[in-house]
Amino acid sequence: MMGTGGLSLDQAPPIDIPARFFLTAPLFAIAAGLLLAWQGPTLLVSRWMPGALAATHLIAIGYLGLIMCGALLQMLPVVAGAAVPAVRLVGTATHLLLTVGAAGLAWGLAGSGPTLIRVGAGAAALGFLVFVIPVGIALVRARGAPGTLLALRTAALALAVTVALGLLLVAVLQGWIRVAEHTRWVDTHAAWGLMGWVGLLVVGVAVQVLPMFYVTPTYPAPMRRWFAPAVLVGVGAASAAWIMGADLVGQAVFGTIALGFIGFAFITLRLISLRERPRLDPTLLHWWAAMLSLCGAALAWTFAAPPTLIGVLLLVGVGVGLPAGMLFKILPFLTWFHLQHRQLGSGRFDLRIPHMGSLLSTRWARVQFGLHLLALALLAGSLWVPVLARPAGIALALSSLVLLLLLIGVARTYRRFAALLRPAPSRAGPQT
Amino acid sequence: MTDSIATFMTDDHQRCDQLLAACEQAVSGGDWKRLAEQATVFSKALIGHFDMEEQVLFPELVAISPWASGPTGMMTMEHGQMRALVEELNEAVDEQDADACLGILETLHLVIQQHNSKEEGILYPMAEESLGDQTTKILNRLQAG
Repeated sequence: MMGTGGLSLDQAPPIDIPARFFLTAPLFAIAAGLLLAWQGPTLLVSRWMPGALAATHLIAIGYLGLIMCGALLQMLPVVAGAAVPAVRLVGTATHLLLTVGAAGLAWGLAGSGPTLIRVGAGAAALGFLVFVIPVGIALVRARGAPGTLLALRTAALALAVTVALGLLLVAVLQGWIRVAEHTRWVDTHAAWGLMGWVGLLVVGVAVQVLPMFYVTPTYPAPMRRWFAPAVLVGVGAASAAWIMGADLVGQAVFGTIALGFIGFAFITLRLISLRERPRLDPTLLHWWAAMLSLCGAALAWTFAAPPTLIGVLLLVGVGVGLPAGMLFKILPFLTWFHLQHRQLGSGRFDLRIPHMGSLLSTRWARVQFGLHLLALALLAGSLWVPVLARPAGIALALSSLVLLLLLIGVARTYRRFAALLRPAPSRAGPQT
Repeated sequence: MTDSIATFMTDDHQRCDQLLAACEQAVSGGDWKRLAEQATVFSKALIGHFDMEEQVLFPELVAISPWASGPTGMMTMEHGQMRALVEELNEAVDEQDADACLGILETLHLVIQQHNSKEEGILYPMAEESLGDQTTKILNRLQAG
């Protein structure tokens, strides 16, 4: 028996749930940019600098974490026909806890001490926990889109491991437990976060949206079926080897995973070049830049470049750029979609709902991409020419500010039209 | 010629995707005469597809499986949204407003994609299962339309 649940439009959460995640996230990227502009080159001396640790978590939890969670709450019911239980409560709690957690943890790591680290990490971990349990339930129930689902399931698992390892590190920092060579545990935490959670989400999203957005051929079946589980098993094996001190094995497996991601990036660029929609829109520009950053990071790792370069390419090149590009499409589309439904409820067919092009200016989105590219180039350059660090921070803050202003513009238009499209009393009943 | 309703309808979706892409190409090329022609071809193909579903496929399906009227009603409502966007597109083409054309085509493209994925993933397989023995008759009617 085939279910018809996926046809229901009512499963999508209210728009304010994903929107609050999307509108808060850029603030954290702005904060990371301003932190760099303030501290200058010292922040980038090594990945152990307090400023670098703070900026990393501002981006990883505050920016990426918020956007990913908001997008998943929105996307799961639509892609997989699986509603997230108690979505309003889950969304509100996750958003609040992650926001407080990212700010607290970053502040603590920047040098304000163990109490803030403890509170921030606790809040962030609780936020992810509140998120991962109901989303896990929805993912288990979900049907359809097997390639995407597999990647999303493995990514959720990787997030859980990343958070657990993060909490372990907090316990070490607080002196509650001891581990031999805690830097190896930090490496493992970063590997699960970057390769597992971020990497597999990028894969899951790419497999689902690139063919849909740009009418490209689909990803090769073996890649859809095997890539995500292979990465998960690989990261697990490599981390175990790394922690036990089997350096060669650990590096060989991590290297193989890096090669796999290079392969993924090349296939993605190839599929993009075969697309039927000719437009080179800002979202596609961000995909290009992110895939090249991914290749760059894998190459940098292979040639033992400074870890800060790998971090910059993955966190800013992929982690800051790609979600911005996706938001250029997601928020305007959601807005149009929800306004359409309000229009049906209100019967105000004399009003014309603004199309996506008038909700978010493509020209300004291109400016945002330009600033992002500038920030990325300056950041990478500053590892060799330290004087570039402050301008890099300013460029990062500016590009994220433009993103924020564009998103605020969409939200304002939504409010304006939503007010005009109040449900008419006689027609307010649910549609069948 | 295919003997599967799902394949026939899915192929028609792909034809519409290609025609929409051709409209975008024409906007980028700045050739308004060509765009006007492309937009007409595209509108005809898309509206023709909706008509096939609303006049042939959905009624046949509902006649056999009355509980399908919910999902087909939902699809018909989404057709209405897309018909309105097609109308908007034709106006923007007449006004030679390139930004509006691109914005409307973008919106239309995403609406079509999420709509098609529901039809291809759920509705067409359901129709094939329910309408098995009438496939040839229905395919003939679809092709005639």
